[in-house]
Amino acid sequence: MSTSTTAAVPSQAGTAGVSFVGVLKSEWIKFRSLMSTRLLLILALVAVIGVGAMAAWLRGTVLEQIMQSGGIPRGDGAIAPAAVPMSETAAEHSLPAGFEIYGVPNAGLQLGILILGALAVLFISSEFATGMIRSTFTAVPKRLPAFAAKAIVLVAVSYVLTIVAAFITFLISIPILKAYGVDMDLQRDGVLRGILLGGLYVAGVALIGLSMGALLRNSAGGIIILVALFFVMPFATQLLGLVPGEFWQHVNEYVPSVAGGRMLEIGHRDGFIDPGAGALIFVGWILLFLIPAVLLLKKRDV
Amino acid sequence: MIEALNLAKNYGDKTAVAGVTFTVKPGQVTGFLGPNGAGKSTTMRMIVGLDRPSAGSVTVNGLPFARHRDPLHQVGALLDAKAVHTSRSAYNHLLAMAATHQIPTSRVHDVIEMTGLTQVARKKAGGFSLGMGQRLGIAAALLGDPQTLILDEPVNGLDPEGVLWVRNLVRYLAGQGKTVFLSSHLMSEMAQTADHLIVIGRGRIIADAPVKDIIAGTAEARTRVRTQQATELGRLLAGHGVTVDNKEHETLEITGLVPTQIARIALDNQVLIYELTPMNGSLEDAYFDLTKDEVEYHSHSLAPAGAATEKGNKGP
Repeated sequence: MSTSTTAAVPSQAGTAGVSFVGVLKSEWIKFRSLMSTRLLLILALVAVIGVGAMAAWLRGTVLEQIMQSGGIPRGDGAIAPAAVPMSETAAEHSLPAGFEIYGVPNAGLQLGILILGALAVLFISSEFATGMIRSTFTAVPKRLPAFAAKAIVLVAVSYVLTIVAAFITFLISIPILKAYGVDMDLQRDGVLRGILLGGLYVAGVALIGLSMGALLRNSAGGIIILVALFFVMPFATQLLGLVPGEFWQHVNEYVPSVAGGRMLEIGHRDGFIDPGAGALIFVGWILLFLIPAVLLLKKRDV
Repeated sequence: MIEALNLAKNYGDKTAVAGVTFTVKPGQVTGFLGPNGAGKSTTMRMIVGLDRPSAGSVTVNGLPFARHRDPLHQVGALLDAKAVHTSRSAYNHLLAMAATHQIPTSRVHDVIEMTGLTQVARKKAGGFSLGMGQRLGIAAALLGDPQTLILDEPVNGLDPEGVLWVRNLVRYLAGQGKTVFLSSHLMSEMAQTADHLIVIGRGRIIADAPVKDIIAGTAEARTRVRTQQATELGRLLAGHGVTVDNKEHETLEITGLVPTQIARIALDNQVLIYELTPMNGSLEDAYFDLTKDEVEYHSHSLAPAGAATEKGNKGP
């Protein structure tokens, strides 16, 4: 490798100071310049749409069964007999909770939060793992602008990707549901709201992932805790509900995935907090991880 | 200009840097010399705010580093050649760093060319050899055309051509009036590159002086004498206001007298001398002399004990 022997190049480095727009641009360059990031984003898009399409088909078949039999198929396979077939609207109303038609565009969201959450953890933990964080904090020694820029990049990407995925899922679900006699459109209660809020939910998970990465500074650890929080905790707290006592039956409603998931739904549901309260509790969870992450990031040696 | 005042860093109950005070002046290359674990890297990390001092303070160009509005134009730092995301290309790494200060893309191309990375700029930094990683770190340090350059072991892993290039680069930058602070454990490298030396051992400043003073001052006109009557000769010489160092069995190191004077005294007192060696001061000698008690990690000699092999073991 040859090296030019003179360094006598007149300075073209400019004189501008560090600016937040610049830091944001820097984080965006970092985000888009990793092949793994691009692959994960494509994977997230495909997975969310794929699961959504499957969910549309599944709901259609369940509806069909309900209409033919007039009842919800029970666990033991027995179906309540009905004298006359039900209308589509009546059948829709007897769909089990969490299985509503309006939820189709967000049906694949669980995969979305898994992939984008992991991506968010990696966005900062990989900098600690490789030592890149020292370059980052030398260029931005106040540190918090760099963290804020990372958060903005992640929120924007998660939100846009989720909305795009939800909207494509919505479009795909129209012909699928049509085949079962269901009209899917944006006028349907909860559809537009679900599409718009789904992106916020995933963005919130990404913020928790970023905080986790900054707190633990370890990729594997951060992702494991994130998975535990969003995939293990709902089941674990459901089991807790079996413990005698009123208190234990309500724990499940407040875990991040259940409270956050309620945010995307409409109307009251027995045994669950209301959507508005769910949103607030979800924000609480974000702050619970975000605030210590920011404080420690500012203070710790890197 | 870098000014450290009682700068200290403890990790738990282990002291890495024990309250050092020094000034690195612009317009010259200041070497930061010390054995492994002496506190060089910790001190440098504290200068750019990556590590928080346990006590004391340090400023760069008059302000704590983090308070500057344009950190990359103030300080260019090569602290750890691995401060790069391994999956990102060298070009994108530099582009991302430049973006923070709105440094134009043309400057990114300039530093890539300057450091000889043109051929590999689009390749993943993780696949770089030690030398190329070092060049990338130097490219990042030069990006903002900074007033102060802090380089931690910059020649580590470089080929001879690269070593020469770094030497010329830092001398050129110092000539431009910039502050250059360069750490190394390679004494020979420092002797050729630095104007001024700050020697650190076990977290303490051992010496802070121009290179020529350190060579002259510490390793000045010593003479090694071997005799079977070491104790007697030592007593005889001690009276003449000289320092006698009883190094090992039958060996004295004498400062303050030239060999002819020593030989005359020995002859007058009927002491038989079987070796009389004038020892020229080299930076290496001076360095080992300064740091011999301050080395954190001693290695054990594989070769039979002797002054030369002991020295060789102290460098990593």
